[in-house]
Amino acid sequence: MTGIHAFQMKLVKAFASFTSVGASMHTHWGWPAAETVHFIGLSLLLGTLVLWDLRLLGVGKRIPVAAAHQMIRWTLAGFAVTAVSGVSFLMAEPTEYIYNSAFHFKMLFIAIAGVNAAVFYLTIGRRTLARGTDQDTSLPAKIFAVISLSMWIGVIVSGRLLTFYRPGWCGTDIPEIVATCVPQKRP
Amino acid sequence: MRESPSFFAFPMMLSLHAIGMGLAAGVNGALAMRLLGAARAIPVPELKRFFPAMWFGFWINALSGVALFIAYPTKALTNPVFYLKLALIAVAIGLSRATTRRVFAADAAPDPAPHVRRLAVLSLICWTSAITAGRLLAYTYTHILAGT
Repeated sequence: MTGIHAFQMKLVKAFASFTSVGASMHTHWGWPAAETVHFIGLSLLLGTLVLWDLRLLGVGKRIPVAAAHQMIRWTLAGFAVTAVSGVSFLMAEPTEYIYNSAFHFKMLFIAIAGVNAAVFYLTIGRRTLARGTDQDTSLPAKIFAVISLSMWIGVIVSGRLLTFYRPGWCGTDIPEIVATCVPQKRP
Repeated sequence: MRESPSFFAFPMMLSLHAIGMGLAAGVNGALAMRLLGAARAIPVPELKRFFPAMWFGFWINALSGVALFIAYPTKALTNPVFYLKLALIAVAIGLSRATTRRVFAADAAPDPAPHVRRLAVLSLICWTSAITAGRLLAYTYTHILAGT
């Protein structure tokens, strides 16, 4: 067993090792509470991100770009909230995500969004932040914004689809059995 | 829709509902946070430019919400949390309109007055409660379909 399967098994083992998080997630209100936090974080993330990305696209031009950028710390806060609650799902049911193609797409979209943001800051970030009241941004800045919005919408859609692509229960013998995870009936 | 030949009908409505939630609750939340002191460099009245996105999210959710309701009407109607969710959204939208009327006006003071800040706090409470109620709908129902 090599490559991606070994990597997936390693991830499953690592997440499954947080047994106390897993146990609290499986209490009566553990899972719904984490989901609620995840959705509130999503709203914080998306609501503040659209202000920023739409300003880059020319909405609310009276707002200096640097002022709109002050909202980004709240976007990051929203991301932190979704990341922490999201990881708790993984610790509780690692195989449901590590072997879930919708989850793979979700992670891919987050990675692209992250690279997109990093490239923005490394290239035209400083120049774009200098744009003041009533100043439009450059075409590349608008392209960064479109990629950003598309990726985060992709993250939400694949996140919502995730539940329909669950591989199912893979047995108690994790991680041995999960390399060829065959969904089983829970006893 | 529940038994739609398209595998994606129901999941797509759920996805739209999550996107609309992020826009409606998120843009209102961003306004409330600005009024409470976040991102102070943003001139408050200019946030009205982003309210079409908020209303876009709201109407996406009204429509996708109706579609989800049609799929499982009994599930919603027999659950008190469903009525609580609708009431919270109604109050949240009322608070949103009361707030924007005050802070988007041409003669609005640059610094939000204490009663506007109170509206912002209530708005954040209502939206997070509405999201909580919505999420708990999946856990608090007693009947999925009539007769079950």
